[in-house]
Order: sequence, then structure tokens, then C-alpha cells
Amino acid sequence: MALLRTREPETLYSAASCSVSLAAVSKQYGVKEAILPLNLSIDAGERVAFLGPSGGGKTTLLRLLSGQLETSTGTVCLCDRDLSTMPTGRQVSQLVGMIHQQFDLIPNLSALQNTLAGQLGEWSLIKSLVSLVWPMNRDIGLSALARVGVEGIAYQRAGSLSGGEQQRVAIARLLVQDPQVILADEPVSSLDPARAGEVLQLLVGIAEEAGKTLIASMHSVELAREHFSRLIGLRNGAVIFDLPSHEVTEDMLHDLYNLQGLRSET
Amino acid sequence: MTSTTSRDSAQKPRLLESRRVLTLILLTAFVWSLLNLDWTTGFIHSGGIDAMGEFAKALFTLDLSGDTLTSAISASWTTVAYAVAGLTLALLIGIPLGAIGSGVLTRSPWLRVTSGGGTRFSLAFFRSIHELVWAWLFVAAIGLSPMAAVLALAIPYGGILGRIYAELLQDVPDAPLRSLRSTGASEWRVFWYGRLPMALPDMLSYTFYRLECGIRSAAIMSFVGLGGLGHEIRISLDDLAYHQVWTYLLFLIGLVVIVDVWSTMVRRRLSE
Repeated sequence: MALLRTREPETLYSAASCSVSLAAVSKQYGVKEAILPLNLSIDAGERVAFLGPSGGGKTTLLRLLSGQLETSTGTVCLCDRDLSTMPTGRQVSQLVGMIHQQFDLIPNLSALQNTLAGQLGEWSLIKSLVSLVWPMNRDIGLSALARVGVEGIAYQRAGSLSGGEQQRVAIARLLVQDPQVILADEPVSSLDPARAGEVLQLLVGIAEEAGKTLIASMHSVELAREHFSRLIGLRNGAVIFDLPSHEVTEDMLHDLYNLQGLRSET
Repeated sequence: MTSTTSRDSAQKPRLLESRRVLTLILLTAFVWSLLNLDWTTGFIHSGGIDAMGEFAKALFTLDLSGDTLTSAISASWTTVAYAVAGLTLALLIGIPLGAIGSGVLTRSPWLRVTSGGGTRFSLAFFRSIHELVWAWLFVAAIGLSPMAAVLALAIPYGGILGRIYAELLQDVPDAPLRSLRSTGASEWRVFWYGRLPMALPDMLSYTFYRLECGIRSAAIMSFVGLGGLGHEIRISLDDLAYHQVWTYLLFLIGLVVIVDVWSTMVRRRLSE
């Protein structure tokens, strides 16, 4: 019951945040080792980016953290609770929320409906159905959209919005869901560089403001260095480095993405 | 192990060949059936050509008298009423059974197989019997009442709609649904917030197509004596009054065109 929160509409999100830890976690797909056994601990409120070549394990690791994938060995703990023992659905959704590269909004629903969908885990079925016709808790949805700077498009179909606007709506949905840990799978990779900087700034700003733990996989090294305090390099399912951003050198990054190195290891 | 791999590699060309063999058999059957037609005694019975010529000529001497027009309008109205009432009932059958039959409302594989399988079987049963046969059954059971026509349309159409709806609801892109689930939404909420909105435009345009088919079916069904355009067409055909037949046919075409225009308008509004 400690997980249940009450929330005032005007504060929009709770300041709750929590730590993440992985103990001897590994993941295999058949014979392929996607993640080699690793230990990792991330403090509450930390902002961490995973870097590394495609197929290095960034997305797999995020999906293990969100509970979408089960570990082959080891345990993932969110807020000191073993993720695998938690009933899926509502409880997990209060701990961890995720945004994706492709935004994943429902194109035929309005931006406001998509935003309010962040509360579906908490609403009764009746309330959810009524809300489809007459949006409930409209003020929460509208203030979330205002926070991400797109309140003007609240009643437009999500499918008709630009990429940048769609990702902002996805962030607004996350605000409404109000998880303690935010996972972001290449959140700005499908946006143009200018839009990518803005949207990432927004995401990081919100995480900072609410003290949320933010864990992202990043395609762009520059953006990762600029916005995240800790960088973790992943390649072939193993951690290559795990350092504060300012201690990561060009040589380390070069080695991380070096194709020669990749080939010799596989 | 080696034997299975060699068999696998041999599988593909063999499949292609068997397909060619099937094509050959079908072609042979077609040609053989042509050869078996009796071409000598005439394809069309004597006087058939004349009758067709007269029928074609009648198009230019349409019967536009007040009586015919009134009966055409009232018959069109009956036909549309049958089609709309039948389709409305069909929706009441098709939407819930389609949703259950698609198996998307539950995460339990056991429930999915039992409820989904059972529903799909009943949908198949409804639609495998043609509406004319249902009409005959209902006329036998409850007599020549509009209820017989409406039920006869509703049952097979409910079966068809349910099957198509089930497929459309299953074929929705998965990524947006996954992100709804990650907000803690149950499959029921995912259905209402994800599947249904994403499948709705296709469901709607298919429903309009079915309304079109429903109008045609309702017209044909009234040949059984249930009133409507088909009934009028049959009476005029019996009187050899081809110019009247054409008037009724043009009304039927008009109805189908109106539904088509309407559905285009609705779809445009949905996708704007």
C-alpha cells in the first residue's frame, strides 16, 4: 500500500523517486548472450545514459529494467523491490514509465486523450470509458501538456502532429503516469538535431525538477554528454565503462564504437 | 540431422512444382468444361436475343409515370429500411462477438482459446448460410413479415462483420499498445484506448461496404415476397414490362451510389 499516492492536480507530479539496482543480471536469447552477467546500481534521482553500438545491449537492458523482459539470471530491483515478484500492470506502472523513439501514441485519439491515458492504470474501467467521450481530469492533462509546451494542440489528433510535438505529448503522458523511474529508449533519435536538443532538454529538466531517476539509451554521444551526469558504455552485452560524464575521454568513446574491436570480440 | 536439412532445401522447389501441377489441373478442367458445353443447339434459347434486345431498348423508354415512381420510391424505402435494420442488428452481433473472437480482451491463453474459438465457430456458422436460405427459414417460421427479412439479413451479416472486425482488431500495430500497457492499463482499457480507435476507420469503411451489400441483398430477398425493390422488379418482369424493370433497377443503383458517396464523406472526415 505504500506505493499508493495521492496527488493534487496543481503539483502535477509527486517528488517520489527511487534507486535501481541490478544484481548478476544476464539475458540470453536462445544461444545469443544479449547481456552478460552485470551488476549496476543507480541512485535515486540520478540521470544515466547508456551509450554504445547498435546491438550492444542498450535496449535489452532498458526492457529488463521496465519489466517488459524477464532476466535469464539475476534480479532487477526498483525501489528495493524485486521486479519479478511484482504483479505486472498497475504497481509496476507507478514505479517505472518508458518513452520510445517512435513516440507510440494512439494516432486517432487527441493529444489530450493520449496524455490522460497515463492514468489508465489508476482509473476504473467505467471512468476510462466515460473519459473517451468526455475527458476526465482534464486539468491534469492540460497542465501536463502546458508543462511540455504544447497546450495549444490538446484537441488535435495525435497522428496529425509533428514528431517533436508527438514526443512532447509522450512526455506529458509520462508526467500524468508519474512513475518514480523514467526509462527512455533513444527518445530523440527520430527528431531533427534542433528538435532533439529541445526535447531532451525538456525531458531532463522535468526529471531534474521532480528528482526522478532518468535512464536513457542514447544514439548521440554529444547530447548524452551534455545532458546526463553519468555515462555507461555497453558493447556486446558488457559494460565497457561506467563513469561520470566529465571523466569519459574521446579515447574511451573511440574504443566503444571501434569496429575493429567489435570484430575481434565476436 | 543432415537428412532433415537436405529435405528442407528440397522442399521449396517441390512446393513450386506442385503449385504448377495444380494450375495445370485447373486449366485442363476449364478447357474440358468448355468442350462439354452443347454449342450446337444454341447458347441462348430461341428468341433470347430478341428478348435481350427489347430489354436493352427499354432503357431508353423508361417508365417515369407517377404510379411507377411512387411505387419505386416506396419500394426503395422498404429496401433501405430492411438493409439498415438488418445491418444495425448485425452490428449488435458483430461488434461484441468480433471483439471476443479476436481474443484480445484477455492475457490468459486458456481463455483466449476457449472463448475465442467458440465465438469464431458461431460466427462461421452464422455466415456460412446465405441470407436467402435464412430468409426462407424465417419465412417458414414466422411468415412473410418484415421481421423475417431483417433477421435473415442480420444473422449472416453479423457473422461476416464479426469475422472482419476480429481480424482488424488483431492487426493493429503493437508498439502503441505496448506503451499503453506500460501505463498499467489492462487489456480491456488497451482495447478501448488503443485497438478500437486504431481499427475504427477500417471497421467503419468495411461496415459501409456491408451496408451497400445489404441494400442489394434486401432487394434480392424481396423476390421471396417480402416487399421492396426486388418484389416490384419480379412483378414487372412477369408482366414483361421491361421499361418498369429499368426504373426500379435505376433506383437500386441510385441507392448504392448514395451509400458510396456517404461512406466516402465519413471516411474523409475521420482521416482529416
